[in-house]
Order: sequence, then C-alpha cells, then structure tokens
Amino acid sequence: MRLLVLLWSLGPLLWQLRTSLLRPEALVAPMAGSNPWTLANYQLVLSGDPPFWRYLTNSGLVGLATTLLTLLLAVPCAYALQHHRGAWRWGASVALVAAAMFPTVLLFLALLEIARSLGLANSLLALSLPYTALSLPLAVLLLRAGFADLPGELEDAARLEGLGLGQRLRHVLLPLLAPTLASTAILVFLASWNEYAIALTWISRNDLLTLPIAIARIGGSSVFTIPYGAFAAATVLGSLPLLLLVLLAQRAIVSGLTQGAIKG
Amino acid sequence: MKLSGAKALLMLPALLLLVAVFLYPLLRYGWLSGHASSVLTGLRPVPNGGANWQRLIEDVRFWKDAGQTLRFAFCSVALELAGGLGVALLLHQPLRGRGTLRALTLLPWALPTTVMALGWRWILNDPHGPLNAALRSLGAPSYGFLTTPATTWFFAVLADVWKTMPFVALLLLAGLQSIPADLEETLRLEGASRIQILRRLTLPLLVPYLSLALLFRLAQALGVFDLIQVLTGGGPGGSTESLSLYAYLNAMRFLDFGYAATVMLATFLLLAVLLGVGWLLLRRARIARTTGGPA
Repeated sequence: MRLLVLLWSLGPLLWQLRTSLLRPEALVAPMAGSNPWTLANYQLVLSGDPPFWRYLTNSGLVGLATTLLTLLLAVPCAYALQHHRGAWRWGASVALVAAAMFPTVLLFLALLEIARSLGLANSLLALSLPYTALSLPLAVLLLRAGFADLPGELEDAARLEGLGLGQRLRHVLLPLLAPTLASTAILVFLASWNEYAIALTWISRNDLLTLPIAIARIGGSSVFTIPYGAFAAATVLGSLPLLLLVLLAQRAIVSGLTQGAIKG
Repeated sequence: MKLSGAKALLMLPALLLLVAVFLYPLLRYGWLSGHASSVLTGLRPVPNGGANWQRLIEDVRFWKDAGQTLRFAFCSVALELAGGLGVALLLHQPLRGRGTLRALTLLPWALPTTVMALGWRWILNDPHGPLNAALRSLGAPSYGFLTTPATTWFFAVLADVWKTMPFVALLLLAGLQSIPADLEETLRLEGASRIQILRRLTLPLLVPYLSLALLFRLAQALGVFDLIQVLTGGGPGGSTESLSLYAYLNAMRFLDFGYAATVMLATFLLLAVLLGVGWLLLRRARIARTTGGPA
C-alpha cells in the first residue's frame, strides 16, 4: 500500500526526471546501440536567455518579500483580533475564511487595472502586494489560533512589568509563537511561489517572469514543438527547491495545516 | 475596551490591503458589468444598461462552461475526499519513516500547478508519451488522450486529484490525530471490527475536517484555471473550458472587459451561493447530530 501511494505521488515526477536525462532522439524512438543518457537538456536550460536560474531567483524574491510583508501585517492584526471581544469578531472570522477560499483568478482583471494605472506592472516587489493580500486571511487565522494557545498570564505579567505592546510582542509573545510563525511563513511562501493568474497578467518582461509562468510559456508553443527534454529539465530544477523545503519543513507544514483545520 | 482605538490601528494596514484586493475588484466588476468596454468602444467604458447581463443569460457558452465547471469540481472533489481519506488512514498507522513518507506524498501539492500540468501533457503525449508507448507495446494503436473530449476531461480530473489529494489527506490526518487512541481501543476490546470502528467512531469524528476539506476544495475546484489553461487550453472544442478560463479569455484574448467583468461577477455569485448553501447544510447536519438528532 505504502509503495502504491509513493508510486502514485512520485511516478509522474520520476518520469520527468527520466525524460530530462534522455537525448531528444531517444524520447521519440528507442535508440539502438549508442548511449541515450545525457545532461545536454540541463545545459540548454541553464544557458538559455535569460538563464533558468533567473526565474528561480525571481520567484524566490517575490516569495521572500511576500512572506515578510504578510507576517508584518498579519501579526498585529491577529493579535488585535484575538484580544477583541466584540460582536463583529465572529463576522471577521467568517470574512477571513471566505477570503481564504476566494478563487484568486477572479480578481486578476481589476488588479491588472490597478497595476497599470499605478505603474506597478513588471515589478517583482509590487507583485508581492497582491500576494500578501491573498495570503493574509489564512495567515491571520493561523496566527490568531497561535495567540489563542498562549497562556494569558504570561502577557499579564509582562504588562505589570511595564512592558509596552511592542516589547511584549517582541520579547514575550513572538518567541513563543515561533513554530506558528514558521509554518505560516512556509505556507505563504509556497502559495506565492506557485501563484499563476496574477503573475501571468502583471509580468510581461522575459527576464522578470516567475517560475510557473516561465514554465507555462515553454508549453505555450505548439503541442508538437514543445522541447520536452528541456522542459523536463526545467521542471526538475524548479522542483528541487520545493523538494528540499517540503522534506526539511514537513513537520511545520503539517502543523500549520492542522491548526488551520482546527480553526475552521 | 480602552485599547480599542489602538487595536483598530493594528488591524488597519491589513484591512486596507484586503479591501483593495478583495472588495474593490468585486465593486469594480459590478460597475464594469453595466458598461461596454471593448475594442469597439476604444477600450473606454460606455454605459450600456443591462446589455452585458442580457448577453450572459443568452450566452450558451457561459452556461455550458458552468455545467462543465460544476461537473469537474464535484467529480474531482469527491475523488479527492475518498482518496485523501484512504491516504490519511494509511499515514496514520505507526510506520517507520512516516515523516519522510508524509513529505513525499505532500510533494505534488507543493509543486506549481503549471509545472505538472505540462508534465501530464508529456505523459499523455500522442504518440511519444509513456502511456501511448505502453499501449503500443500491448499491440494497440496510440491514442489521442488530449484530443478526445472524454479522455481529456478524465485526465484533467485525474491531474487535479493527483495534485490536491495530499492536501486533503493532511487535513484528514490532522483530524485522525485528534481522536483519542483509547476510544478506538475500547471499541476494539468490545469486539468491533475495523470497518465498524471506522463507521461508528472515526468517520463521525472526522466530519468537521471532511466538511472543511470539502468546502475549501470545492471553492478552489470551481475556480479552476491554471490546470485547465496549461493542460488542455479548454479544448478539445471547448469541452473542458471552465468559467474562470472563459472569463480570462474574454478579458485577455477578446479584450472585452465589460463582458469579462460580468462573467467574473456571475461566477463569483454562483460560487458564493453554492458554497453558502453547502456551508449551511453542513452546519445543520452537524447541529442535528450533536443535539442527538437522527444519526
């Protein structure tokens, strides 16, 4: 059973790996005699114009900016929401859940208009603004659950010591919240790394494309001319950072999703 | 409540950004949908009464896409819930290397949709993909998986299930881990079989997690865009086109922004009604059970 599950989730990826290592001729017909294996696909992708790693750094830059900005905005918001006992608290939760579920592709047209009128198109840092907004609902929900789990006496004690809100957050609450912060950060980063519809419409300059768009552009050429070997190499290179992230941060991702589930 | 001014201030930046990105577009679409704004008007909005909505009601393509989107969403979410439950039960068992296994099953969910959509296109390629190679080695002729409507639809669902089932599995796994182990043990000592335990204990306690996964996935599947755009382009013959893709094409290919906004707003309303009704039904079911109503 375990093997079956592994085969199901990794099979398509392993096939990409195999494809990326084969000569183009070997993809079309079995080659007799000569060695079908090659690294040429990787050379082709890495020496392209712009070189492939540019897309990785683009996506990484947007991802980092989005993650930082999201945490910066979500932490105070979650704190305030958690400490507010008002009638609209329930309403705020429902609105956040609804926003977290919103299919983002439906927003792209109005966002594109904003980007064009403010001159934000073709800027990677500007791209992190809508990304931050898209990640905020989930981040606030996760962090609010984290704040709710902290013992209230701790903050009361700190308040009696005369620490202001900023100091309490920095020295008392946030260190205790580190695991929640980490898993929130990873989920936000992943969402930004993978976003498609907004990046597709905001970015048109070749050297500023994020990874999903760059890869989809390869497929935009006709079905018959997609350079599948090079494309597979691009897939493998683009997946490696995520593979590492998921392997290293598996626990944080799972606990983040878990908390999200409990909140809902 | 002496701090409430300060608290409002803490929320303000996040609130402003959320309003700009979520609320403004909906208002803007509402406004645009009352205007013609296309190449014919020089891309300038000109009021046209209810013409866009009239057109939407008579638009065969919109309603066909709505049907296709619903069918796609219901099928793939049903499969994801069933498969995700199976995977969650499997991952819940104490196994050696469970952490690694979990991470590897999670991988498809973490990868960009477009990347693997193209991967699937290669796997389904006619005639060079592995699936056709396997067919040929069995002596069958190769098959245009992505040029026949039925198989294209099937593989679009399959690719979606492949990508998002890990997410569902993890949510359900979190639910499984919240069930106290001694409850299960007690039932086992009373002689209940594994199936009985699943039906009488595990599934009822998983209902909140199942509903959450259902609503979240349904919302995302009803808005499906990147998978369809890259895997099938909506084809063959528009047979896999989703509402989001239709809205996108109206804006970016036909440059008909007034109508695109109408389609987007209509899609949003359709989705909101569906999910709202689903949410109410699930809530009522939950309340009925916890107050001792008919199980």
